[in-house]
Amino acid sequence: MAASPTVTVTPPAPEGGGPGGAAVPRGLRYANRSLALAGTTIIWVALLGPVIALLTHLSWHDIKASLSAPGAFEPLILSVESGAVTLGVLVLLGTPLAWALARGTLPFPRVWEAGVLATLLLPPLVIGLLLVFMVGPFTPIGHLLSGLQLSATNTFLALVIAQVYESAPYYILGAQAAFGGVDPRLEQQAALLGDPPRRVFRRVTVPLAAPGLAMALAISWARAMGAFGAVVIIAYHPTALPLQIWTTLQETGLFSALPFALVLLVVALPLPLAAYIWSARARGRRRG
Amino acid sequence: MLEADAEVDRRDFTVRAALTVAPGERLALFGPSGAGKTTILEMIAGLVRPRRALILLRGRVLTSTDKPVTIIPPWRRRVGLLRQDPGLFPHLSVRANLLYGRSGSDAEATAELRELAGVLGIDELLGSMPARLSGGQAHRVALGRLLLSHCDALLLDEPYTGLDASLRRTLTDLVVSLVGERGVPSILVAHELAEAQAFADRLAVIDQGEVLQDGEPGEVVLAPATRRVAELVGYTSFVPLGGQPGTPDGQVAAIHPDRVEAGRHPDRGLVLTGVVNSCRPAGALWEVTISTGTATVTGRLSEPVATRQEFVLTAVHPPVFGTGGELVADTPRPVGRGARRAGWSGAGSTGTGRTGTGWTGTGRSEAGWSEAGW
Repeated sequence: MAASPTVTVTPPAPEGGGPGGAAVPRGLRYANRSLALAGTTIIWVALLGPVIALLTHLSWHDIKASLSAPGAFEPLILSVESGAVTLGVLVLLGTPLAWALARGTLPFPRVWEAGVLATLLLPPLVIGLLLVFMVGPFTPIGHLLSGLQLSATNTFLALVIAQVYESAPYYILGAQAAFGGVDPRLEQQAALLGDPPRRVFRRVTVPLAAPGLAMALAISWARAMGAFGAVVIIAYHPTALPLQIWTTLQETGLFSALPFALVLLVVALPLPLAAYIWSARARGRRRG
Repeated sequence: MLEADAEVDRRDFTVRAALTVAPGERLALFGPSGAGKTTILEMIAGLVRPRRALILLRGRVLTSTDKPVTIIPPWRRRVGLLRQDPGLFPHLSVRANLLYGRSGSDAEATAELRELAGVLGIDELLGSMPARLSGGQAHRVALGRLLLSHCDALLLDEPYTGLDASLRRTLTDLVVSLVGERGVPSILVAHELAEAQAFADRLAVIDQGEVLQDGEPGEVVLAPATRRVAELVGYTSFVPLGGQPGTPDGQVAAIHPDRVEAGRHPDRGLVLTGVVNSCRPAGALWEVTISTGTATVTGRLSEPVATRQEFVLTAVHPPVFGTGGELVADTPRPVGRGARRAGWSGAGSTGTGRTGTGWTGTGRSEAGWSEAGW
């Protein structure tokens, strides 16, 4: 190469750039990146740690012993049933509220939102206590219920009420975000193309919000399945899955409770995972 | 036929509009941002509630605030609205988007879809999702969707702003031909005059919610009804004519930068003499600023000129406005020879002074520019 002697070869600029990227020595940048990677790995492992612990401490023998006991699956069935009813209630009552919150059609929208947030911020145990004073047998609502031959203490109804209180804010806030992500101009366009509001909701709003709605629903399902704090106070009976874990732990110890923990995970997790995969795919389809 | 006579309250002013658009006619609403143009469209589409209105479309009452009060909801108005954002439904394919507002038999719809897709040049895209489309393609689909929905009126709210000029032109031509073919009354909102002119066969100038002038696209530029209209359509310099013999005080001639010529052409209009302040390139032309002593005039010329030199240019038939901003003498139109208008009573004196407004009409005719005029 007949390069002129005055040409100086500058080292290639370090990739990534960033503010002052060129000024940071390569060694330091390498250390930074390794630290960040190590930090995220530690957090990730720590978060998943309990699940890993569960899987490493389970023995086949314990699972067989626990699950073959008479009535071992009744709490599971009860949990699934009450969870399904809870989801139905949430979709029926929570969707319109989430929609109204997202579109700001309610007067004093902040007040309504604060109400939803309050249920999220109250400790479940406190919710349980307060529910006793709200729907317990010696309250106006309790009287009304007993007039209908119903009771909201230690019944299926009580279980559903407790689960609704524990999972509702997750659904409502998630659905609010999902609806909020739908461009109102698209709904307007659909209306101008001849669709009355209800059909716009069905053809445009719900399909566009569906990935977010599915996630909200899945998270509230997991919350309802795992509801314990409020449930232990107003619905100790009939025994749902989390209470089964609690009572087994109290009566026969840690190792016989573990199989039920696995059952709870197996029941609670598939829906959120499926929803996650489905919404990721739906978003991918939209990108073409 | 679309007829709208309405008032809508906005925070700072009231938008008043009395418009009639014949089938197949293309009306452009031209005005600065925030003039209330979009409000007029939204009111016709039923998205904004008017204080007082009577809106008729093909004989149907869409809005009437007189008894019996009628307000047809947007979904039963059959009014198509196209905005800058094409607003395609991202979860539906191009085909499903096109057929969204379409009712009626499938076979008929499919046939029409195929034909329209061919005209719009989108037949290759029917299976794609909107996210895959370019801006121009998305607009073609949005236009096709409106036409397939068989709307009775087409409202275009600056749809092609932000697209590049040649694409904008292609799309505008496409709309013009399709609207004409289908005999749909259409209204375009634009804040760029050239865009409005490319579309419309009638132009309404709107400012602060009021329609200031309504006429042919060329007429609005050549004979702005008021000084404000002149400012809006691009007249940048206003030269006082006071002191000229026979000219009442306070009259001003409006100079459009694109309507000036270098040199002294008294038969073509108003001759201005001044010192060149600046000269810089503007596209393929040179933008020249000269000081006449009473005013600063900007013009675009085909040749550059030396600065700080005396220079003579002729403003071609400038409209003249009185003290109240009203048009007292408009320019004779290029069409129709001898279609002179009254008002140039000062014609007759020759240019005065080295620097100043040379008022150099040569004719003695009371009304004309000159004997040799149009």
